[in-house]
Amino acid sequence: MKAFRGEPSIFASARPEAKRAELEVKNLTLKFGGITALNKIDLEVHTGELVAIIGPNGAGKTSLLNCITGYYKPQEGQILFNGENITRFHTHHLTEIGIGRTYQNIELFPGMTVLSNMLLARHVHCHYNVGKASVFSKSVRNEEVRHREILEELIDFLEMQSLRKQLVGALPYGMRKRVELGRALALEPKLLVLDEPFAGMTLEEKEDMVRFLMELNESWNQTMILVEHDMSVVMSISERIAVLDFGVKLAEGTPDFVQSHPQVIKAYLGDTSTID
Amino acid sequence: MNTKNLKIDRLDDETLESQVQYTFPQILSRQADRLGPDKIAIREKAYGIWQTFNWRDYIRYTKFVALGLISLGLKREENVGLILDNHPEWLFAELGVQSLGAVAVPLFTSAVAKEQMFGLNRFKAAYIFAQDQEQVDKVLSCRDELSHVRRLIYIDPTGMRTYRDNPWLISFAQLLELGEELDKEQPDLFVKELWEGKASDVALMIMTSGTTGEPKLVMLSHENFNEMARKWLETAPIGIGDNWISITPTAWIVDQLWGVGITLSGGLAMNFPETSETAVEDFREIGPSVIVTSSRFWEELASKIRVKIADAGFIKRALYDFSQNTGLQAVDLESEKKAIPAKLRFLRWLANRIVSKPLMDRVGCLGFRGAYTGGHPISPDVIRFFRANGLNLKQCYGLTESGGIFQVQPDNEVKLETVGIALPRTEVKIMEDQEVLVSSKSNFVGYYENPEATAEVLKDGWFYTGDAGYFDDDGHLLIIGRKQDIMRTKEGEAFSPDFIETRLKFSPYIKESVIWGEGQEYITAFINIDFGNVGNWAEDRKIPYTTYTDLSQQPAVEELIRGEVQEVNKQLPKPMQLVKIILLYKLLDADDEELTRTGKVRRMFVFKQYKDLIDAMYSDKTELPVTGQVRYRDGNVGTIETTVKILTV
Repeated sequence: MKAFRGEPSIFASARPEAKRAELEVKNLTLKFGGITALNKIDLEVHTGELVAIIGPNGAGKTSLLNCITGYYKPQEGQILFNGENITRFHTHHLTEIGIGRTYQNIELFPGMTVLSNMLLARHVHCHYNVGKASVFSKSVRNEEVRHREILEELIDFLEMQSLRKQLVGALPYGMRKRVELGRALALEPKLLVLDEPFAGMTLEEKEDMVRFLMELNESWNQTMILVEHDMSVVMSISERIAVLDFGVKLAEGTPDFVQSHPQVIKAYLGDTSTID
Repeated sequence: MNTKNLKIDRLDDETLESQVQYTFPQILSRQADRLGPDKIAIREKAYGIWQTFNWRDYIRYTKFVALGLISLGLKREENVGLILDNHPEWLFAELGVQSLGAVAVPLFTSAVAKEQMFGLNRFKAAYIFAQDQEQVDKVLSCRDELSHVRRLIYIDPTGMRTYRDNPWLISFAQLLELGEELDKEQPDLFVKELWEGKASDVALMIMTSGTTGEPKLVMLSHENFNEMARKWLETAPIGIGDNWISITPTAWIVDQLWGVGITLSGGLAMNFPETSETAVEDFREIGPSVIVTSSRFWEELASKIRVKIADAGFIKRALYDFSQNTGLQAVDLESEKKAIPAKLRFLRWLANRIVSKPLMDRVGCLGFRGAYTGGHPISPDVIRFFRANGLNLKQCYGLTESGGIFQVQPDNEVKLETVGIALPRTEVKIMEDQEVLVSSKSNFVGYYENPEATAEVLKDGWFYTGDAGYFDDDGHLLIIGRKQDIMRTKEGEAFSPDFIETRLKFSPYIKESVIWGEGQEYITAFINIDFGNVGNWAEDRKIPYTTYTDLSQQPAVEELIRGEVQEVNKQLPKPMQLVKIILLYKLLDADDEELTRTGKVRRMFVFKQYKDLIDAMYSDKTELPVTGQVRYRDGNVGTIETTVKILTV
């Protein structure tokens, strides 16, 4: 009876303020010894945008994501999120202020069920303390019910009803990626950071994933940054694309602009003269 | 929720009899008054929980749909297409349409766009209900040819944001709002419209599967269905509050008769699984009291169980073999009406406790009071298999035109080969050419806008089924097969392809088979291997394979299937034995028009499509290069190039 329930509460009830995600990366430089992974990168992401970062292997895409999500600490520059300087924040602190992510090489707990994996992400929204939890008081119970409701809405949205109680380790690769997206969404993030969400998927799984991301972005105004290799997908879903090469931002703009940018073509194909 | 041992809360005969004079929505309104807010009418699993609707909710939503449709402009006797999956909205939409005296026409959600357009044009749909974005897209792709469709109502809003500006579309939620507004303005309107309906009105039209030629629309009245529902409620072990689970397509008569007709008349609860993928689990949670489904369901379940057992450890296999042997011995004695010796009775009780019951529980079949198979002939071995495991599985027989199933095996005398005896107030007779005729109030009204076809099969109240059959000594009906399908070899030996096909399909490795041999010297067959089971078999033997095409042409697989066919040949009389077979390089598929949407083979179409292969089986060739076509759901056509081997059994 979806038609009667209206929009899932996880997406519908959020106040505009709770969805606000203004990210500003200023002059960011990251070095590993003698190698400059990121060189004076500037990037802005505004609320409701879907921004893609592309580039050849080793361009620094994942390094940039890792800076934003607190895994790497850059030597220079600043990262501002909703006006707050988050450059030196710890990862757990970042999830609390609303930055959720997925990983290139799936970081789920294979021995746990899909539900348990997703439930884990709800810890940032837990308000009860050990005392109350140990007697499982009414308020704790209500809160747990609320967490489960939100997970069920996500399971419904991601069409994983038949997987709920299955162990993640037993799922095919494409499904695990979906579970990971579910876990990131269970954080109710303001900014969702996706590292190669389509890698290693079959065509059908990609189509499903595109559908989910588009729906999240367009219907529920979810702000997203994604890194991706599959050009056809990136070009079709992103509003804005930033191109990195050897740690330098080559270009930034609409898919059409980026596609016809001579330096981008050179970075990808090595030659400019014979490109149609 | 095992209801096996609870008392059956039947409606009294008087109520049942009186209900025949009402329409479905009128019966719903009476049930809502009688059973009210306390009894559950509908359950649906959503967000991981079984959500319930009582009888008052049921009529309320139906009312809002009906009034919403009035606001949009639906008139009496117009046709409305329903392209819906198994969810409560289907019931509300269908009954809403019917309470205005309009006709509901359910269509298969699995049909491709072209097929769907053909159907919708055939009955000039005034409105369409579509399940989700996928179904809406199919209809929109042929919008230009659907000028008679005034509005399209979609149920699931997921992914529909980009369609919001299209004035042709309206959501189900909006429709309900329209209905609610009109209800406030004119509170008596619904009741007035509802009671204008007559039981003799056409309630719905069902597209026949059309194994031959163009599909026809079978018009069925409220009375046809109510009468059939009454017969079942009088004879089957079901009552108020019992559970029916809706898993067959809504466009098939089974869920129309049971899910709508019988659940309404008998006050049963209708249960909807969460998604088709979770159906098995949801099925187990509900533990339905009764099930009627296709022979394919039972065939697949049987082969799944047997394959799993073959993979199990030694002890489990031994226990299973013991249980199966004991069960089969008892079943055979029962069907020969002999007494079962005390020792066997004890062993069977034991086998039941330690093997059969846990097994049936595992597959969700423990709660059944009655289980029925219909739609297509089934191998007696499948029935023996389940009965040996303590499941009261019975074969039954009926057609869309006869208003559903009218022949059932009675409880105390189940004969495996037969389809039992007729329900009350149903007459069955056999013509000289062995055609089965049936007469009852449940017989359909006629084919939609096709009086010639109606006159051909409906004469003096008798419906000519087109099936050949005969009565045995106990008065049980045996169905041989479709009359026009009965073939004769060159020597004039008559045989029914169905008869051989169902026996082949009992093998867990054979999914589908098609028999040839009309006017030929010997009989041949196409065989579709079961990709899952044969695939597992191959993996166990370390045989590498890639696709279905590749697997089907592996020499080891050929040997496996040849062995299975030789086993079947042993059960058949000499002239009916198979001589040559081909393992088809692709699965027969409804999208390629080779099967009907209910999964029956369209023999003539397959014959034309694969003429070269059939001819090759009647020549000296041992292999044949072929180029085949495969149509994908999105309309693209791919080609397969391979060499097919012709195997001598």
